[in-house]
Amino acid sequence: MTGEGEGRTVRILVVDDEPAIRKTLSTNLTRHGYEVDTAETGYEALDRYSRKKHDLILLDLGLPDIDGLEVIQQIRQRASTPIVVLSVREAEQAKVAALDLGADDYLTKPFGVDELLARVRVALRHAVQQAAPSGGLLRCGDLEVDLERRRVRVAGEEVRLTPTEYELLSVLVSHPNRVLTDRTLLQAVWGPEYGSEAHYLHVYIARLRRKIEADPQRPRHLLTEPGVGYRLISD
Amino acid sequence: MSGTKLRLRASSAQGYVVALGLTGIVTGAIWVIGQVTDVANISMLYLLAVMASAIFFGNGPAILASVAAFLAFDFFFIDPRHHLTVSEPEEWVALGLLLVTGVITGQLAAALRNRAREARRREREAVVLYDVLRLMIGADLRESLAAVAERLRKELALAAVVIGFHGGTAADLWAEAGEKEALGLARASGMTPKLMLGEGAGPTSERRGTPGRWIRVLPPHLPGQPGQASDRLREVPVRLGDGMVGSISLVRRRQAAPFTAADDRLLSAVGNQLAIAIERTRLREEAAEAEILRRTDELKTALLNTVSHDLRTPLSSIIASASSLLQQDVQWTEDERRDFARAIEEEGERLNRLVGNLLDLSRIQAGSLAPQRGWYDLSALVDDVLGRLRFVASRHRLVVSLEEDLPPVFLDYILIDEVLANLIENAVKYTPPGSEIAIRATRDNDEVRVEVADTGPGFPPEALPRLFEPFYRVQREGQVARGTGLGLAVAKGLVEAHGGRIWADNRETGGARLVFTLPLGQPGQAPVEAAGASE
Repeated sequence: MTGEGEGRTVRILVVDDEPAIRKTLSTNLTRHGYEVDTAETGYEALDRYSRKKHDLILLDLGLPDIDGLEVIQQIRQRASTPIVVLSVREAEQAKVAALDLGADDYLTKPFGVDELLARVRVALRHAVQQAAPSGGLLRCGDLEVDLERRRVRVAGEEVRLTPTEYELLSVLVSHPNRVLTDRTLLQAVWGPEYGSEAHYLHVYIARLRRKIEADPQRPRHLLTEPGVGYRLISD
Repeated sequence: MSGTKLRLRASSAQGYVVALGLTGIVTGAIWVIGQVTDVANISMLYLLAVMASAIFFGNGPAILASVAAFLAFDFFFIDPRHHLTVSEPEEWVALGLLLVTGVITGQLAAALRNRAREARRREREAVVLYDVLRLMIGADLRESLAAVAERLRKELALAAVVIGFHGGTAADLWAEAGEKEALGLARASGMTPKLMLGEGAGPTSERRGTPGRWIRVLPPHLPGQPGQASDRLREVPVRLGDGMVGSISLVRRRQAAPFTAADDRLLSAVGNQLAIAIERTRLREEAAEAEILRRTDELKTALLNTVSHDLRTPLSSIIASASSLLQQDVQWTEDERRDFARAIEEEGERLNRLVGNLLDLSRIQAGSLAPQRGWYDLSALVDDVLGRLRFVASRHRLVVSLEEDLPPVFLDYILIDEVLANLIENAVKYTPPGSEIAIRATRDNDEVRVEVADTGPGFPPEALPRLFEPFYRVQREGQVARGTGLGLAVAKGLVEAHGGRIWADNRETGGARLVFTLPLGQPGQAPVEAAGASE
């Protein structure tokens, strides 16, 4: 897979204060056909982005000048460019905050290059899907959701879902491979006044798993991102 | 108590006798004056005797003096003389007036006397309490208590005072003042019969409190033994809430006057003050402990943050580079492959330095750092460090100037290598790329002085005193603090383990400067120092 999907080269902005990380990421991404810019600080990132309007931003949250969250906020005011956050494992709160502010995904440091490239592809694909939403039938492996007829099939077998379960699944299916925070899911399914009632969500996720997963103990479709939210895997 | 009443009675009897005597004297005086001249209302002279009795002995003697004056004047000066009868009715009026005036004057004077006495008592109580409060402010509780004991002993003219606290946080505090024999008695107060001051009635908003009565207390193993000492040994319990936290033991002088009610009140007030003072000390100690815990907690949090962020950052680069090399779908050029490998090496080195610093810091803090010293050439050490830091400092200009003929220095090569590396790394971290970092080593009398000076922004003045604290990082406006806050703390510990000094300042020409010194032993001293170091 290369970055030359739609006629022109995909441009990626790598924002990290660690020179070694910038170098490694930029070498790798360049080699995979992307055009890479790097920035060391938040202001530098905003400046670069306003000039070149990159297609994707890889953003470290711990920057020397301004908070990475602020960078997300500033960019989201202007554009829906996919943002993938790079952060360490202990920073769950920051990840959730970043996702709630509009970041598309996150990668936990340290990460391997394969994982990085996969996330970059998902984020870019999602950006394309947003621009041109696919038809009424969504597929994630053996899971099939017919959005027009509100029907769900697993391996060809029809599964009966309650309206809430269906709503939850349809939100997840519409954002395949993306992590959705508890808050995002709650507000999408239950309404904007919800946000902290994560236990509702956990109950419904468990019910959904019993219906759509072959082994709910070891889910293949509906994965938990500990401390952050859930992700529906489509591959 | 019985003793107190007795004294009261004795002084009253004395007062009544004096009152009669005074009346007699005035009677004589009136007679003498009557021989010389005739003064109208001469009987008013008796009022002097009444007032004197009232002022010095109180109400009762004053009334006696009034009655005696009435009788004496009637008997000696009113016709028929030497009879208690009166011939003229108007003389009755004069006599009655004398009696009434005498009684009223006596009452007023006695009330005045009581009020003055009460005021003096109050003042004394206030002064003693104030002194106790001031004495208790002192930093050392034991000294403060000793001063209070001495103050109390002087005030009440006692043979000895022992103040003791048991249990609680102020465990077994003990302070004493007084004469040796009496102190022995006070110390043994737990085993001797004694009088203990009861709690009495507490004050309310309308009424002031009254001290309790003295209660005889017998130690359990001495049932019924009256014991001579008990009259001398008194104990004032120090209560806090419901419990007794300590006591003031008092030993009275032999044949001393008994305690008055005012003394009792004073003693129980001092007991209360001591209880409050001890409670305050306990709270202060608790607050100090909480502060220590909080700081330990802060240190732990800082350590966790460091481990979380600074250990993982180099790991991120290493894993990213290694996984790049393992990529199946890319054919890396030789240069790219070398770059990845170099990144792994550099970041591995960095991780190693960080782990080294963390271990050194814990060894320094545990006091288990033992330098393995030998005689080394500083220039070789500087070269080594620069070689190792060539990646880290690749974007800075390192200028080295070593004084010629520097003598060898007695040091632990690995530790001092680390000190220098930490100082240079610090300079690199806080100065913009391209700036110059000067490393100088000079001989200064009996020590060698190494300095790392940069041309960066320098240290903010408020940061200077804290630079060498573990996990302290300089925070500049609008910037997130960087680095681990370990390097300089470790450098300080390592330099001091060598008997050297380390400090930081700003150069007059701008930029920060970090300096450390190492003592230069004379060659002849080497074996001695070496022996000392191996201890």
